[in-house]
Amino acid sequence: MTAFYGWIGGLAQRGVLPSDFQYPFLVRGFLCVLVLAPILGGVSHLVVTRRMAFFSAALGQAAITGVALGLLLGEPLNAPYGGMFGFCLLSTLGMVYVKRHATLPPDTLIGVFHALTLGLGLCLLVALTRQFNVHQVESVLFGSLLTVTDGDLALLLAVGILVAVLLIREYNHLLLDSLSPPLASVAGAEPAYLEYFFALLLTLSIVVSLKIIGALLVEALVVVPAAAARNVARGTRSYLIGSVVVAFLAGAGGLGVSTRFLVPTGGAVVLAVSAIFFLTLAVRSLTRRNAV
Amino acid sequence: MTEPAEAPALLEIDRLTVRRHREALLDEVSLRVRRGTVHVLMGPNGAGKSTLIAAILAQLAFDGRIAMNWAETGAIGYVPQSFAVDPTLPVTVADFLALTRQRRPVCLGITRGAKAAIARLLARVGLSGLERRPLAVLSGGELRRVLLAHALDPEPELLILDEPTAGLDDAAVAILDEILLASKRSGKTTVLMVSHDLEQVRRVADWVTVLDRRVAVEGPVDILATAHVRELLPAARERRVARA
Repeated sequence: MTAFYGWIGGLAQRGVLPSDFQYPFLVRGFLCVLVLAPILGGVSHLVVTRRMAFFSAALGQAAITGVALGLLLGEPLNAPYGGMFGFCLLSTLGMVYVKRHATLPPDTLIGVFHALTLGLGLCLLVALTRQFNVHQVESVLFGSLLTVTDGDLALLLAVGILVAVLLIREYNHLLLDSLSPPLASVAGAEPAYLEYFFALLLTLSIVVSLKIIGALLVEALVVVPAAAARNVARGTRSYLIGSVVVAFLAGAGGLGVSTRFLVPTGGAVVLAVSAIFFLTLAVRSLTRRNAV
Repeated sequence: MTEPAEAPALLEIDRLTVRRHREALLDEVSLRVRRGTVHVLMGPNGAGKSTLIAAILAQLAFDGRIAMNWAETGAIGYVPQSFAVDPTLPVTVADFLALTRQRRPVCLGITRGAKAAIARLLARVGLSGLERRPLAVLSGGELRRVLLAHALDPEPELLILDEPTAGLDDAAVAILDEILLASKRSGKTTVLMVSHDLEQVRRVADWVTVLDRRVAVEGPVDILATAHVRELLPAARERRVARA
């Protein structure tokens, strides 16, 4: 990868690319955005259609607890994937199982899990600050490009390909199940399988995005791109393309803001995506007014 | 031609019981749906008609036995009683119909073959040209016809319709009648339909089962004329009074 970064840096020095690309960590960050946009854009338009925004928020919360747990169990600070994925997986399976078997409304049950993981996470974080400087943990909470490695990029790419292949395989059933579980069932889908399947894909996508976006903010990128695209989309195709484009623009824009103004990447990305959401909302209002 | 009561059964239901909170929503229901017929389930609200459909579609737990004797594809078409569409959902009629028509994810585009099949399906239900219309802006009657088009693809061996005429105007009901009668003529599709529409039932049904959590009465469509059945169908009676 060093040769690649050198080549890109050369192009930046000659003015072919923006000068920021002289720095390998920024090139790596941009590549991360390129990979993240289709993953999160693709996943997010199904998250919104399947009404799993609150579920995603609870998963982001579980990721913080998972990071703390992993670090306390001795995982390296720059790659706490084991604890994060393990705890998120456990939370996902728990939430889906309880949701399917309890009679209470799903948002109530997810709220219970949200509170539980938050309480546990806070206790573990306090314990964690006795071993680590809180600023070392900050990058996990808010995302930081400085800590992203080539290994993280490779993992992101591998998971991205896996998520894309699996989503393509089950997309039609997932969408039909979101519209009407009985119709999906008649069409040969298994609603319980689809619910666990999609929740696992969402968990994978969230876990690999955390180092860039941060645990506290990742939920925004699995909800807002689709919410923004939905304001202007006319069909599923434009909905998907819109979600990916919004995720990319927010990622690239956030990256630029984060390096220029020295603010956390996650925060800058979320501000960018929120700005795009309100822009599309305004476009929707204007189009409707003109149509009347 | 084989009489409905003599045709082999596609669907056999024996002693079906469904309980919720210890209350029996269906109690020891047994019936046969004969192949190639239009079999109508009638009964007052709360009689268990939709519960029976849900049990047939394996969407709830039950005691008893439900057996399907498939002879061909084993495909089921289903038009649910309710279908709520999120008003901001960007799913078009063509997207929706393509979901079960092609393997390629509809968000990556609709195949040429699927487009042609969707155009034919929409023509069949009298909605030609509505491919690009979002589901969310359809009227109730249009949405039910789109659901009917969805249920007809692929050609089902068993077509289950839960109050399909709700929200339909006379022209749309005539289209539905034609589809049901064509199914009967082809003999390939068996129809099980929940309905409160007595006039339509008289036009298309071969066999009627009146439910009131149990099988209250069943027989050929002539049983609708009996005083006992009319007494069991208060909704139909109220509609007659209202029209008068």
